[in-house]
Amino acid sequence: MLEPVMFTGGVYKHDLVMELVEDLGGYILQKNVTQSEVILLILIPSEDMAILEALIKELRGELVRAPLAGTEVVVVTPTLAIHHLPHSACDVAEYLRRHGAKSNMLGLARGVGREIAQINEYEAALINEHDAAVFIYGNFAECIRKKESLYRNIAVPVVVTGGPEIPKAEMPYSFEYVSSIGRVAHRARKATEIGSLDRIISATGRALDKTRTEISKDPLTTSPPRVMDAVREQVPEVLYSYSPLPIALNLSGVRVKLPFDDYKEAVKAVTFDEGVKLGEIAAILPSRMKDYILVRILPASETGFVF
Amino acid sequence: MDPMEVFKIEVTGQEEFGAKKYRELIMDILQDLGLIRSIGRLYVYIDIKQPVFALYGLLRSGIPPLTVKDVGDVMKVECGYQVKINDEEHMADLLKVLWANYGRERVEQPSRDVVIIASDTPPGELMVTDLEAEFLQDLTDALVRVAPEGFRNRRNEMTGKSFFFIAAEESLTPKLITQIKEKIGEMENA
Repeated sequence: MLEPVMFTGGVYKHDLVMELVEDLGGYILQKNVTQSEVILLILIPSEDMAILEALIKELRGELVRAPLAGTEVVVVTPTLAIHHLPHSACDVAEYLRRHGAKSNMLGLARGVGREIAQINEYEAALINEHDAAVFIYGNFAECIRKKESLYRNIAVPVVVTGGPEIPKAEMPYSFEYVSSIGRVAHRARKATEIGSLDRIISATGRALDKTRTEISKDPLTTSPPRVMDAVREQVPEVLYSYSPLPIALNLSGVRVKLPFDDYKEAVKAVTFDEGVKLGEIAAILPSRMKDYILVRILPASETGFVF
Repeated sequence: MDPMEVFKIEVTGQEEFGAKKYRELIMDILQDLGLIRSIGRLYVYIDIKQPVFALYGLLRSGIPPLTVKDVGDVMKVECGYQVKINDEEHMADLLKVLWANYGRERVEQPSRDVVIIASDTPPGELMVTDLEAEFLQDLTDALVRVAPEGFRNRRNEMTGKSFFFIAAEESLTPKLITQIKEKIGEMENA
């Protein structure tokens, strides 16, 4: 069982941490260097955690659990106008990031209003490429109930946030509803506001756990971090991508940030030690996000094996 | 404590939370834009069933326009007049006004905060900025920001002393406007 953790420490000797993780059979999901500090998102076998902890203690670094690591969560606002951004939406996105998720922000084209709010097929498909979605709504219960139509057809679990208290029974299509966020014109500073952000994180964590449980019933042929490692090794062009995270992990695959038409064959041809090609065990699809490549690993029931 | 004398919000239906939050929101936005001290009374009426959003406010006494002598010290010098500006923020506006009145060739700026005008006419009473027009512009911006974004049909009636703003998703009919004005009148007299 791989444990998601986040290491924060100095740049000096952080390569020892990276080497240890690789030696233990873990994965480095993301590396961010900010001046003299480095942040590593790591997946590590849980039985080897003590070894990593000992090394990090020696390096005077910090190791915390990052329950959302290896997932991609989308924060959806009715539009990208000043009415909805930057305060609550950015706070939520930043908080998700701090807990290890890759968070994307999506402003709908016509998500405003109560009667006129709409979502189109493209937006819904883009949201469905993520592992979970957080919809940010406003302060009026009546509007939050009515705007259910925006997320009714979303396939991934949707955590809805808004101001007033609304019983969950009144919002059957949401995974969970988190109150006391709503539309605000200031950053979250007070303890109660930070507390609400924590509740969003735990609701998102539960949503992701639900997806994980569903996947475990029919496990994927291989794990997404392994695909990420193989693609990174065998398609080195991905390292020249301008994205901060050239390969984004999902629960059921990865998104490779290279042009689809030019690199789909190279990604399909990625070969694992067992001699299996990625094209045989995964669907290589064009992503709705820019021109990227979406890799969806097929479950064991389709390929007949797990490695 | 509210810096305004009166600040009332009325929301139809069971939306106490929305009313409370909109009060905070309006205060935040007015404070961000530095308008809160200029508004004396504010009445907000939100009908979530229609839905419609309306604001009526009374402004504090009018703001006089800013003249040259307000923004700097005017002195008679040998070749004309010298203006030494106190707040550099107004320099661009000041130069624009002086150029328009005296012509570019008569206005010289030997240093960052000093302007010399080669003329016998004193510039003291010339208007540099119309603060009231600027205020009304900022106020309109604030009202658009406060109203829910989906309420795209808007109407804004401004006089020197008050403003009335209404926004809705559906078309604004004269009947609706009169009805909302009556509601706000009731709030004012309550």
